[in-house]
Amino acid sequence: MRTNLLLSVALFFLLGVSAGQAQVIIANSNVKISAISKADLKEIFIGASSNFSDGTRAVPVTLKDGAAHEAFLRSYIGKSEAAFRASWRSIVFAGQGTMPRAFESESALIDYVASAPGAIGYVTAPVSREKVKTLSVK
Amino acid sequence: MRYLASLVLAVGFCSCTALAQDDHNLQIHGFATQAFVYSGSNNYMGMNTSSGSASWSEAAVNLNDQVTEKLRIGAQVHMTRLGSFGDSNLSVDWALGDYRVNRWVGIRAGKVKIRWGLYNDTQDADPGYLWSLLPEPIYAVDLRETNLSQYGVEVYGKLLLPKKWGGADYSIYYGDYYYASNDGYAALFQAQGLKLVGQPSGKTPGFDLRWKTPAKGLKIGGSLMTYDASGRFTTGTLSQPLAYWPTYYAQYDVKKLSFSYQYTKLVQYTNITLTNSAPAISVSDTRSWFAMASCRVTDKFQLGTYYTHYLLASSPDRSNPANYYRDWAVSSRYDINSYFYAKLEGHFIDGNGVGYYSFNNPNPLTSQSKVVVAKIGFIF
Repeated sequence: MRTNLLLSVALFFLLGVSAGQAQVIIANSNVKISAISKADLKEIFIGASSNFSDGTRAVPVTLKDGAAHEAFLRSYIGKSEAAFRASWRSIVFAGQGTMPRAFESESALIDYVASAPGAIGYVTAPVSREKVKTLSVK
Repeated sequence: MRYLASLVLAVGFCSCTALAQDDHNLQIHGFATQAFVYSGSNNYMGMNTSSGSASWSEAAVNLNDQVTEKLRIGAQVHMTRLGSFGDSNLSVDWALGDYRVNRWVGIRAGKVKIRWGLYNDTQDADPGYLWSLLPEPIYAVDLRETNLSQYGVEVYGKLLLPKKWGGADYSIYYGDYYYASNDGYAALFQAQGLKLVGQPSGKTPGFDLRWKTPAKGLKIGGSLMTYDASGRFTTGTLSQPLAYWPTYYAQYDVKKLSFSYQYTKLVQYTNITLTNSAPAISVSDTRSWFAMASCRVTDKFQLGTYYTHYLLASSPDRSNPANYYRDWAVSSRYDINSYFYAKLEGHFIDGNGVGYYSFNNPNPLTSQSKVVVAKIGFIF
């Protein structure tokens, strides 16, 4: 009984931590869409598309590194950080685009997304998101 | 090594500048690589590889500015020194204005990379891929300077397809191109006793269409590059009528694995008229393909292998090693950190139809050769 209780407590904390690190997709408040498909999100973040589904321009931004950044890449982009960076290098060195801006902290990322039309990024749930729009992922 | 030292200094300076410029929608990126190449026999790619050669260095620096929401301008300078080819001077790799109307149409104008096959437009961006040498019969590092880009216009974008059909990207271009002043093409003419005056040039219209199929991770596509050329030798003229260079390709990415295949066929007529001589017309019909597989073993470590095949089909003697080339390559890459990476690659080559030159192979070529390439790279 005691073992079960300990397992339950451990599971609760594990799930709690996992939920706490879930990624929330945020965008500049001028972005008209309120939901984005996982496929569109991936296309935007790997540089294959520079528009939202309604045709308006999308400007992806990322965190520089860290667990939240890697979790986002794994969950939504399906790439490791190294693979993500390599695919962008091909685009940049071929003259076909510019690297997404990368920020040291979530607060800096949020500030940029709030100020840049079309900007889209991600944060972990506990961070305040009053200045930006939250997009649901279909 | 003095080239590498100066390159590292240059890119380091630019990275400091980049940090300073980051707030103004300006981005500066660059890389520098240094390779060591050793071959068991035959000197490869214009380098004296049979005694070990460190004469392959590359570097590039680019600057991009997102001027408005739809307009980007940018340029990249590039330096390649590959044994006797290239030199330490920087050349403009691309320099363009890119106006993105919407997701369906964008226009690039200036000196623009040519999208052809899986890797033509990215083949001189070493940090972007696993391999040290891409398959030589299709992406010849000693010839790439000529085939990389054109001075003209490219219209690109996405095709409007029903979602259930996947997605498709297109690129249509038209412009002028110039033979590089010092790459393998010049050496091949030189081997026939022909010295180029200036750089032969011509028009190069073409297109690329790639379909991201509904099957997850599967992309298939086709490209057609057409080109003609005219130029002068010290002793005559060069004329190449319009040539059609089609290629077909497929790539399948699944989890940490990637598989790709590409096939191309090129029929090329060359008309050389020497002073006081009748025109001499030659034709070459070449077929090339490769199959690749790679795996990202860990975030930092990648492994891969490819097999590539070249055949001079217009030759009656297909068993002559000069008329074919087969290469098994085994490659690895380790990303040391965000700025440095290392590559190690082995090639098991049969035949010498491509990649070998008579000027640094005075003795008869052996039909088989092994080549090892070790490379380090710095990127920012």
